[in-house]
Amino acid sequence: MTDVPAPATTAAPSRSYAQMIVQRFVTHRMAVIGAVAVLLLCASALFAQFVAPHDPMAIDTTRRFLAPFASWTNPLGTDDLGRDTLSRLLYGGQVSLTVGIVAMITTMLTGTLVGLAAGYYGGVIDNLLMRFVDTLLCFPQVFLLLVVAAFVPPTILSISLIIGLTSWMEVSRIVRAQVSTLKEADFVQASRGFGASNWRIMIVELLPNIMAPVLVAATLKVATAVLMESYISFLGYGVQPPMASWGNMLTNAQGYFDTVPFLAILPGVLITFTVMGFNFLGDGLRDAFDARLKIDP
Amino acid sequence: MRGDVLGYVVRRILHSIPLVIGVSIIGFGIMHLAPGGPLAVYTLNPTITVTDIERIRIALGLDQPVHIQYLTWAKSMLTGSWGFTFFGGRPVLEVIVERLPATLILMGTSMALAILIGTLIGMLGAVRRNSIFDYLATTGAMLALSFPTFWFGLMAIYIFAINLGWLPSGGMYELGEEGNPWDLLRHLVLPVMVLTLVLVATWSRYARSSFLEVIQQDYIRTARSKGLGTRQIMARHAFRNAVIPLVALLGVQLPSLFSGALVAETIFSWPGMGRLFVDALNMKEYPILMGMIMFTALFVIVGNLLADIAIALIDPRVKLV
Amino acid sequence: MSTKSSLTRRSLIKAAAASGLIVPASGIYSPALAQRRDRIILGTTQEPVQFNPLLYVNAGAENIPEACLFDALWDVNEKGEFVANLAARIPTVENGDISGEGRIWRINLKRDVKWSDGQPFTAKDVEFTYQTIVNPKVAVRSRSGFDLIKNFKVADAHTIEIELDRPFVPFMWAWQNMHIVPHHLLSKEENINTSGFNAKPVGTGPYLLKSRTAGSHMVYEANPNYHRGQAKIKQFIHKFVPDQLVAYGQARTGEIDYLGVSGVPFDRWGEASKLPDRNFFPLAQPWVQFVYFNCGKPQFKDPKVRRALYLALEMQKTIDDVFFGAYKRTLSYLHTSHWAYNHDLKDAGPNPQLAAKMLDEAGWKVGDDGIREKDGVKMKFTMSTTAGFPARQATQAIFQQNWKAIGVEMEIKNMPASVVWGEYTTKSQFDTLLVSWEPTVGMDPDYTARAHSKMIPVKTGSGSNYTQYENAEVDRLLEAGVRQTDVAERKKTYARIQEILLEEVPFGPQGGVFQGQITHKSLQGIKPNQYVVDAAWNVHEWSWG
Repeated sequence: MTDVPAPATTAAPSRSYAQMIVQRFVTHRMAVIGAVAVLLLCASALFAQFVAPHDPMAIDTTRRFLAPFASWTNPLGTDDLGRDTLSRLLYGGQVSLTVGIVAMITTMLTGTLVGLAAGYYGGVIDNLLMRFVDTLLCFPQVFLLLVVAAFVPPTILSISLIIGLTSWMEVSRIVRAQVSTLKEADFVQASRGFGASNWRIMIVELLPNIMAPVLVAATLKVATAVLMESYISFLGYGVQPPMASWGNMLTNAQGYFDTVPFLAILPGVLITFTVMGFNFLGDGLRDAFDARLKIDP
Repeated sequence: MRGDVLGYVVRRILHSIPLVIGVSIIGFGIMHLAPGGPLAVYTLNPTITVTDIERIRIALGLDQPVHIQYLTWAKSMLTGSWGFTFFGGRPVLEVIVERLPATLILMGTSMALAILIGTLIGMLGAVRRNSIFDYLATTGAMLALSFPTFWFGLMAIYIFAINLGWLPSGGMYELGEEGNPWDLLRHLVLPVMVLTLVLVATWSRYARSSFLEVIQQDYIRTARSKGLGTRQIMARHAFRNAVIPLVALLGVQLPSLFSGALVAETIFSWPGMGRLFVDALNMKEYPILMGMIMFTALFVIVGNLLADIAIALIDPRVKLV
Repeated sequence: MSTKSSLTRRSLIKAAAASGLIVPASGIYSPALAQRRDRIILGTTQEPVQFNPLLYVNAGAENIPEACLFDALWDVNEKGEFVANLAARIPTVENGDISGEGRIWRINLKRDVKWSDGQPFTAKDVEFTYQTIVNPKVAVRSRSGFDLIKNFKVADAHTIEIELDRPFVPFMWAWQNMHIVPHHLLSKEENINTSGFNAKPVGTGPYLLKSRTAGSHMVYEANPNYHRGQAKIKQFIHKFVPDQLVAYGQARTGEIDYLGVSGVPFDRWGEASKLPDRNFFPLAQPWVQFVYFNCGKPQFKDPKVRRALYLALEMQKTIDDVFFGAYKRTLSYLHTSHWAYNHDLKDAGPNPQLAAKMLDEAGWKVGDDGIREKDGVKMKFTMSTTAGFPARQATQAIFQQNWKAIGVEMEIKNMPASVVWGEYTTKSQFDTLLVSWEPTVGMDPDYTARAHSKMIPVKTGSGSNYTQYENAEVDRLLEAGVRQTDVAERKKTYARIQEILLEEVPFGPQGGVFQGQITHKSLQGIKPNQYVVDAAWNVHEWSWG
């Protein structure tokens, strides 16, 4: 492997390198669309308290099953208990995005840590850690996720952790592969010659140099985590009612599927929109950093 | 060469034994250390008192320490029954095997279709890089990967089964039509469509990058400079080399196939392993859950092994070590 | 109980069209649409996994194979009366079969009954069934009633004599609940829990199991030698359709002749009752939905507080809005249609003003944060039920709103079934539960296991009084009730019990559970029976009209 990215140790990445990345990203049309979508969703979730027309949990059964686009008070209609759909979607976005991001952070931390340790130390540690990764990879993720979710009381945090802790394995493989090629590079050897500690080398020397693929993987992980959250909510293992999440809104809608299809269509469209935003963003980042980086979708 | 392969297979199998043991210990551990258990199902029956529950706990062997339960289970695993289900009292292997054909039919069809279509799209995308087709295919794949499968399934049911009434909303056969291939086909359309969509997306992306890599290599450029047409180059040189990483991918993708089946089978009431798993999960049928976990683990290991052997057969440069 | 509709054909079609419900007449599902007279297809959303009638866990789908393949000593009919099945007659004090002040039971068995493999049915089989129920190695769900048997004697091949520890009137229900299994096949089994018999059962029942397709359906053929006469319909098919909406759709198109558990979705009852060629009827399920208060927690110690909390809930509104009026309000642990129901009970709720006043009087004053408190304890608690049930979640959401209005904070804490109904319930760790439960000994009004102070598991290690409710008068009445043989006397006893329970509210009843069932109109002989869970209890009498 000769085409290791330029080492970033001497100073901040050179101006031209950063410029190049930004330029590549901006020319990537889908990536920009993705970024805008993500920003929009994050903003609406963040400011749900101010944007939402109603309390998402306020019940008014005299106004149930209102059709969307029919009235200004409930622009997207109401559900089986007369709760405002728009408000629930906005607050549901908070749950989905929080879970997506917290799960991503968990995944990244665990995956990077394990990958770094395995790649850097090599030998027995590498062997043990990677066998452990192999073992976990024998479980399909949905499988693992459902088993754990069925046992742990559902809160936003516990769901995020469960998703995060069942999906870090690929990240650790990516990081390990990068680290084990990089650790022989001159700048690492040099730093070791100066007597730097293992920790210092890992964090200061190696980590910045593998940020590109990690960042890309992180974006894509948010996307899968959002999908996973909606799926476990859909199966009834998600956040507690009456709190709304897109997944549990879908579950509730299932019973009125043929009579009030909008209740099922709207949350589904939003999930797709969010996941797509993050996917495009990740894809754009990947292309911007290096067209030849390969990370699974 | 044949002895080579045999020796390799034996070595690989020996290597995977610790893996299998690891999987079983982790699986067993997660299930038994977490709160809740199969006895809760009994509490819902009003005639059952705490005394009854304690009695049943002993009758089912659930009062034993976890490691003893594990060893009992491991023994039944090795002696062939894979343990007995709590609520039906049947051998787990039998329960799983009777659900296996349904899942294999569903997943096999989807996978075959996805590989065919995905490779084709990927190849065309690579050859006509940056064309409108490539652009649409790439964006389309992204979109497909963003659909929540279960929601897409529900929408498909809503449109094709409920609104249009063209296709059945679930199940594998109509009553009395068991074994009728035409009836099976009608039932397969919707679940296969939902599963294939996601698989094609993944697959075409991999295929595209794999073909791109090969096309950019020197010998293809040489071939091109000799004046060979694209079609000839693809057929003679590129195809074989581009397919090798895809075969490896096939092995790796097998576990996710089961995840997909889990979702599709729940939505479409498909009588396969995925639904068995969800039911078992709700009842905390440890023996079935463990059986399913072991089954997929074996599937993954064998899948990887077969993929490696296949690669060695396609690519003479690869040696089985 | 019969169909609600008496409309003309034209208005029917109009109504159906208006509700968007014209069943496609094209032959999409041609094989099933051609309704056949020699078979019946019954659909349920659940699939039975255990065919040994002693070993299944919960009532529901598993009652179908039980009713098809096995017989009990006696059944309970739609009027709540016992009718002899394998027994030659119902033991009573009058006919002399019950003596010794209700302690000695003599049961005469029918003489010409054969197991489906040709072996004769005798008293040995009943004895073996009893022995299996009390065998510690066999995971039989309950010994309720059987644990009172002091002495079990086979007098001759067709007579049994049972001596009980003490008189126990609900003993009839114990035998109605447990169907008889064959001695000649199971006694040789080393381990009955895992016996091959459980999947390939042999019984005395009206049908024989012909084939089973996992995840799809089971096929039964009529038993030609059935002792109550061969079933009129030759083939019985039990089909599993996991999705309730899909199952309902199949009942509409005629792919299913009888839609059993879990019935028609509540919001479709109006529509279902207008279907042409179908009978729709709401069937009372034995269970009642409750709010369980854990009397062991400081918030719920005071009966007055529980009463106030119960008064604040809009029970009828939850029934109307969430269950679309399908449940029927009840004020006791019995359905209002049960013979022992106390019709003098009055529904005082919802009355939030009175509830707030009662809480004030009990010393629970509204604190700075708007939540009531007393002696440093906040009136703040959780409510749990099985996760993932939209209707129950909606009920909880309404309760939450009701309580919030009087300064009481309830947090929903639903969990997977295997967690919430495990030790969380049995060791009384919950604050409140939302749960549906039927009486504890068949449909007898006895409620000892749930309400007697000796039946608190965390204190005595036995029983199922998970609310930890204690009341000396209730204890005394419960003990008396199971000894009274006179129905009028019993009725009085249980009326008083219901009155006290409504006053002190260890569990607050919401409504009696109903399911909407659909049958094909020409299907005859179906007798909706609120005293049993299984739709097929009299399957041998069904026929095509």
